[in-house]
Amino acid sequence: MKGLVFDIKEFALNDGAGIRTTVFLKGCPLRCIWCHNPEGLSPHREVYVRESRCTHCGLCLRPCTHPECQGLGRCLHICPQNLVSAAGVEWESAALARRLLEQSDVYESTGGGVTLSGGEPLQQAEFCVGLLERLRGRVHRTLETSGYAAPGVFRQVVSQCDFVYMDLKLADRAAHIEYTGVPNDRILENAVWLRRSGKPHCFRTPLIPGITDSEENLRAIARIAGDSPTELLPYNPLAPAKYPNVGRRFSDRIRPG
Amino acid sequence: MKRELYQYYIIDRAHHANRVECREPLAASYAALGLHARERMTRRFEFLCRAETPHMHPSEQIVLVRTVKQQPDIFTAEEWETLRRTHFIHEHGYVSNLSPDYGAAIQSGLLAVRARADGYGRRMIDALIGLCDRYRAEAERLGRDDVAAVLTQVPRYGARNFREALQMFRILHYALWLEGDYHNTVGRFDQYLYPYFRRDMEAGVYTREQALELLEDFFLSFNKDSDLYIGVQQGDNGQSMVLGGRLPDGSEGFNELSELCLLASRNLGLIDPKINLRVSARTPLSIYEKGTELTRVGLGFPQYSNDDVVIEGLTRLGYDYEDAVNYVVAACWEFIIPGVGNDVANIGAVNFPALTDRAIRRCLTQGGGTFPELLQAVQAEIRRECDRITGSIQDVWFVPSPFMDLLRDGKKYNNFGLHGSGIACAADALAAVERYVYQEKRVTPERLLHALDTDYADDPELLHLLRFEAPKMGTGNDRADALGGMLLDWFADALEGKRNCLGGVWRAGTGTAMYYLWHARELGATADGRRAGEPFGTNFSPSLFAQVPGPLTDVISFTKQNLIRAINGGPLTLEFAAGVFQNPESIRKVAMLVRYFIQRGGHQLQLNAVNLEAMREAQKHPERYRQLVVRIWGWSAYFVELDRDFQNHVMARQEYTV
Repeated sequence: MKGLVFDIKEFALNDGAGIRTTVFLKGCPLRCIWCHNPEGLSPHREVYVRESRCTHCGLCLRPCTHPECQGLGRCLHICPQNLVSAAGVEWESAALARRLLEQSDVYESTGGGVTLSGGEPLQQAEFCVGLLERLRGRVHRTLETSGYAAPGVFRQVVSQCDFVYMDLKLADRAAHIEYTGVPNDRILENAVWLRRSGKPHCFRTPLIPGITDSEENLRAIARIAGDSPTELLPYNPLAPAKYPNVGRRFSDRIRPG
Repeated sequence: MKRELYQYYIIDRAHHANRVECREPLAASYAALGLHARERMTRRFEFLCRAETPHMHPSEQIVLVRTVKQQPDIFTAEEWETLRRTHFIHEHGYVSNLSPDYGAAIQSGLLAVRARADGYGRRMIDALIGLCDRYRAEAERLGRDDVAAVLTQVPRYGARNFREALQMFRILHYALWLEGDYHNTVGRFDQYLYPYFRRDMEAGVYTREQALELLEDFFLSFNKDSDLYIGVQQGDNGQSMVLGGRLPDGSEGFNELSELCLLASRNLGLIDPKINLRVSARTPLSIYEKGTELTRVGLGFPQYSNDDVVIEGLTRLGYDYEDAVNYVVAACWEFIIPGVGNDVANIGAVNFPALTDRAIRRCLTQGGGTFPELLQAVQAEIRRECDRITGSIQDVWFVPSPFMDLLRDGKKYNNFGLHGSGIACAADALAAVERYVYQEKRVTPERLLHALDTDYADDPELLHLLRFEAPKMGTGNDRADALGGMLLDWFADALEGKRNCLGGVWRAGTGTAMYYLWHARELGATADGRRAGEPFGTNFSPSLFAQVPGPLTDVISFTKQNLIRAINGGPLTLEFAAGVFQNPESIRKVAMLVRYFIQRGGHQLQLNAVNLEAMREAQKHPERYRQLVVRIWGWSAYFVELDRDFQNHVMARQEYTV
């Protein structure tokens, strides 16, 4: 089973206990306007150019015959500064599991493990399950999810994890549609199930100035979370940084501070 | 911290106003008198002690500051020329990178040392005591009875308490610099000072806060005169302090004083003394966490060394266990023995990328042969270069150092160490050639040779392939990592059994010092996609353009080689964005990573908390960033006082972010 991964980050500090490696799966059904991983949105492989350092020498625009460059509009194998890459690498779940297990000794000795994040990992549920099964009993497995998935899919993947971070961004349905592009009914349903599942978990709320950080929203989320553990994530002021790299525009509706 | 002291010495550098020029033509007059070197050293020391004028800040507890700016040479230019023609003169010719036995002198006092000394040593001690007496008189004049009382005891007699011991250290260290020795290290400070500290703490002389304040006052003293010390750049002055580590009886040496030293360094945020932390597989995480709290400040220390590897490596080189267990670091990272060592740990350097490059070009020009043949050629180059270096370093002569000799019990070890620069760069070149030329045959020898000769000017695709896509040491590629290990093994093989001109052995190492720039400057384009003149990575670290997946892979890659046989010193360096150290949880994770490196058998590790944005701004507005500290190789410096190429190298290193 193949999956599309846009990053593997070693020594991820904010994705759970101990020393962890986080696998970022590509593709997300949500369009949160504050998203800081714009290369994780599209479910397709796409060209990624670190624009800020580009000198526009034009080398990458020359036609090339590399199969992996076709359709990207750029050559991946010529930039003198290595600024041109493809976001999205196909991994076989077995190969990715092997890669992650190479470092299982450090995960184990530090109480860490592997975290699946995204994008939205549940978009590639089958791949996640395949990967998580291979890691079972050998490394601690954490899932970071928006919770936006059909309940059956959600339960299937969650049952393969040792810990779940699930976002509760906005309690109000209309606001949720406005700022993330989707309604929150499924999310709330999955949250209820997660709370009763006995699976260790934590609900997370990103504090987006003027959008999610209102007292009303936080209070409503606290009611949804009940006695489950919760965390507030500070707004990442660097969120807009990567948008030009994938040819997207960051929302002008966020005004930090 | 006493804010006014920091303001006076560090921010305002107000003590510079007391400094005087010294243009005495000592060398000419010594030459005219036909004096021999030891006599000249003694006379100059006496002269400089007399020329110093006592000054002290009203609130400082540890006194002695230099006021004479220059240290006139003892030989004329012509005499140096003759000396260099007839001897191998290392660097500046004066002894350096040594670690004296401070503890014994602090305990006994200088009069006891004097009783055993020769005529030169006695004259030097008399001159130093004379200077200290003038300091005492000045203290009395200023009503500083506390200082006067301390100076009544030390340096004549042994220290009786913590403060006297600190003052005594300051006097001895000051005297070494005044003698003209350089890269004067501090050694196992937390061990030899511990009895005084513990006694005072147990007697309730100080609260922990007061002891810390005294220690900070003392730490500040390393920074008062350091702009007068010689080095490649300011900051390269060898004031390395070693904390923790195994004791001869096998127990752990990390104590309350070690902890207080980490704290003092953290509070002051100054580049001296440079802190080294000795650890082992048994060291508890809490000690790594304390170390990481210091890393967070951004000074580039502590640097860690692994007792399990270093002690084993040194004993295999022939050091007695009871000496090896006592190891300290020289100016940067070279492992030396305090009190009995006379090693020259940095006498030369092997340029690995140049040797590898020569073998690659020759083999490819001659039709290539097989890859194992190419490796044999590399091994032969290494052997030849080691033969050449060891053969050329004969008749080594150092300017005598009568004062340093007072603080040493003989010269038991006379070993020479060689740095090995650009190991990753060389391993990468071999890995690339193996894969693309020999295995996949994707790149013809002609194409590669042409690219090397033309600096890749008309072959950007090949440049990209070799520079960014080829297997690299540090990226988890087993082959590249193994090739790096092979280079090290061959380095150690080439030196094994050789004796130097003083009867000592040769030590292979993984340090680069300034050679990451110097060696690289002379070298054309290399097969790892490095362009002509581009620097190597620092010490035992990935090349500057290796696409390292993260610090775990980096650590794993650089702990696969057998470092026990290449133990001259030279760390893996990990650079972290300052934001990584944001909370206790992430500090703990960094500490775990360091422990993982040690448990995997890594020999030496150095971590930086870097602020790239601040460095960019500092290049534009140096006046606003006078206190910005960065790590260079085995030392740290004020960023704005560095030459541009050193600044740029720091900014180009791999950095791990949150």
